[in-house]
Amino acid sequence: MLSQALTASLEIIINKIITLESANGSLEKLAQKTLSLYLIELGFPLSFTVTSALDANEKKILVTSSMEHADCTINTSIKTLRELQAKQQLTELIKQGKLDVAGDIKVAQQFASFAENIDIDWQSELANHIGDVPTYKLMQLGKKVSSKLKFATAQIQADASEYIVHEQRLVVTKSQVDKFNRSVNDTSENVSALETRISHLEQQSKN
Amino acid sequence: MSATDKNQSSDTAHTSADNTTHFGYKTIDKEDKVSMVAGVFHSVAKQYDIMNDLMSFGIHRLWKRFTIDASGVRPGNNVLDLAGGTGDLTAKFSQLVGKQGKVVLADINSSMLNVGRDKLRDKGLVQNIDYVQANAQYLPFEDNTFDIVTIAFGLRNVTDKDMALRSIYRVLKPGGRLLVLEFSKPEHELINKAYDFYSFNILPKMGELVAKDGESYQYLAESIRMHPDQETLQTMLDNAGFEQTNYKNLTGGVVALHKGYKF
Repeated sequence: MLSQALTASLEIIINKIITLESANGSLEKLAQKTLSLYLIELGFPLSFTVTSALDANEKKILVTSSMEHADCTINTSIKTLRELQAKQQLTELIKQGKLDVAGDIKVAQQFASFAENIDIDWQSELANHIGDVPTYKLMQLGKKVSSKLKFATAQIQADASEYIVHEQRLVVTKSQVDKFNRSVNDTSENVSALETRISHLEQQSKN
Repeated sequence: MSATDKNQSSDTAHTSADNTTHFGYKTIDKEDKVSMVAGVFHSVAKQYDIMNDLMSFGIHRLWKRFTIDASGVRPGNNVLDLAGGTGDLTAKFSQLVGKQGKVVLADINSSMLNVGRDKLRDKGLVQNIDYVQANAQYLPFEDNTFDIVTIAFGLRNVTDKDMALRSIYRVLKPGGRLLVLEFSKPEHELINKAYDFYSFNILPKMGELVAKDGESYQYLAESIRMHPDQETLQTMLDNAGFEQTNYKNLTGGVVALHKGYKF
């Protein structure tokens, strides 16, 4: 029941985002439409259906794990989804066979448009719950932790590099590789010159 | 009663020749049973949802989601949520069938129906839901009415299950499907023993503490043991006329989802 646990969690998160974003309007055209997404890595489908309750303007997205009914079905992988987000290269990915779309493509476009338009001010949302000062302090702390993490990452990389290259001598540096390559080229040139000279001397001795 | 136990009529198997039936492990007069089961559900209705979460550690929500996923429901469908109790399945179906569809929440117990109706109304789900107090053995609907019928944790409490299955078959449209979500027999002996210990030692105490009604939860545990196992229930579906019947064990067979079609 991994799929049910995942769909339940996704449903809670998505609908929380919808309430924060107040972007219900953009879901209006998608009422009762279902987009099914089959990701190879997951091995089961994720279907997103836009529904409305008593207040027709208040939309919700139900997430299920069924592909029996969908207005649009997309078969792809998580990696391809990232490419799609980065470069908007839908047609190219379809040509390459990385993305398979069946059904009403407008439904997929409208879902994508909804996702792209989500722009939540997380700082202000947090402030609503815990207050301005704690939020400010928390953000400052977040920045400090983030900067320290970046520094620590760079430091670890430098230390590891020094240990592997200089102390353990497991790998060579780029300058050492360049120097070796230059020596090989020089030797090759010297051998060619020597070869030319030998053949020249051979010619003279025959004459 | 339980996380899972809804109330369709009475309980489990009933002795045929005389005028007695089972109420859990006890043998009682049929006439008494109706009022006893009604008493159980009137008693637990208000704590039904919270007890479900407590007793199943919230897993009943995933079992119900699995049922929705397996139902193949689509906009415009007519759905009967039989023994629907507090309306967990109805809430999802209502949103998935949309304005063109219809969901009927049916239960034999008025207290459970009232709790379910209040809960769904609070969620704003009013447009396409009907509430019907009905006995699964005598469904008050015309033939070929529903695309999908579900009975989640309710069949166990029906006095004559075969009769109920035939009644469900009658109201299903050709091409429609029945989904029975019910406690069943765990696949492994170790799980079975742990489950028995939990059911007979912990569960009634939880019922006593939270719902102030340990006896009802003792009945729940007993009625689960009296319910047919996976293979037997599948045969019962076959005998009622359903085709392409199959079942899927959930949580090691603690619960099973049976599915059958009417063609």
